[in-house]
Amino acid sequence: MPSLDRLPQINRTALLTRPVEVHHDTPFAPLAVPLSEARLAIVTTAGLHLKGDRPFTAEDGSFRVIPSSAGEAELVQSHTSIGFERASQARDINVVFPIDRLRELVERGALGAVAANHYSLLGAQQDSTRPAAVSGTELAKRLLGEADVVLLTPT
Amino acid sequence: MSISLVREHTEKLRPSRALYVPFPFGLPFGRAGDVDEQHRVLREALDLLREPSGPVLRDYDGPYEDSGPGGALQASQIDASDPEIDVANEVTLMRRYYEQWLEREGKSTVGVSGVPPVRFRGIVRFLEAVAGGQQDADHRERPADVDVWTFLRLCVDDLKAMYLEARLVTGPPNELPEDTARWFWGETALGALLRRLRDRLDESDDPALKRLAFGIAR
Repeated sequence: MPSLDRLPQINRTALLTRPVEVHHDTPFAPLAVPLSEARLAIVTTAGLHLKGDRPFTAEDGSFRVIPSSAGEAELVQSHTSIGFERASQARDINVVFPIDRLRELVERGALGAVAANHYSLLGAQQDSTRPAAVSGTELAKRLLGEADVVLLTPT
Repeated sequence: MSISLVREHTEKLRPSRALYVPFPFGLPFGRAGDVDEQHRVLREALDLLREPSGPVLRDYDGPYEDSGPGGALQASQIDASDPEIDVANEVTLMRRYYEQWLEREGKSTVGVSGVPPVRFRGIVRFLEAVAGGQQDADHRERPADVDVWTFLRLCVDDLKAMYLEARLVTGPPNELPEDTARWFWGETALGALLRRLRDRLDESDDPALKRLAFGIAR
């Protein structure tokens, strides 16, 4: 997003006054395998899921599983915010969920593999800690077994 | 590693590795169809894995033309009009263009409500009933485990998605998102209905309905 000092006042104020967790330390783990051998999973807050899967509701802390075999045509978005434009996502899901780009990296040998599953959560919640509180432990357990690298993407 | 759209927030969160990108909300990997740009964002994000320690917060180094708002243009920023067409008839017209999109692209973001587009006229009548103040407005295809207000939002989302995809067929090629928003909120009967719906929901003292109103049009 353009830096806050270039946004209209109303947008700048909304973002600056939004509660954000402040962390004073940062866990850091080096990559255990070469990237060319690593499995990568996307964790997105774009509110995406498979058609027929349960839509996200307001202040929903749960997650959805998106198998890496799923194609763009199998996905929908039930995000509760309208603060982002959606026409670009309708044209090209890779603007928010770069599944095709990752597959290309694997084909080129730059990335080992796409992980078995990607995961989706609902962003832009009033309580930004809710998704981690509700789903963090289960997601971490799954990702530790399925991926060497996790790409966290907003929307 | 993570992609950051609000640098000030990421500075407080201190994730182990983050790439700040100057793109609008909704586009963390850049423009639709711009494969080179999307790959560049990915490459710069993956390069963060080379760092021996963290936290690391780096700015995207690729070319970027800063234009337009940082997020979606909203209804309140666009002059309203009152198109002389019945909303249900407009929806039927849009569905024909939507079906062209579906045939051409083989994909669609429509589908969260579970109601097939051929029955979206019924959704319109549902929304009109709510906007008109009918207390017991409901839709016969609402799943039993979905409350009426959640279902209403999902119906609105599906209608918006169908209109967007219809516009991708009828509108100018590579139309800017803000121009699409001006068309939707300024020229369509559905946009006018959603404004009325928002106003009706916002009259409520229930904070949940006020939030719903804010999530339909703002």
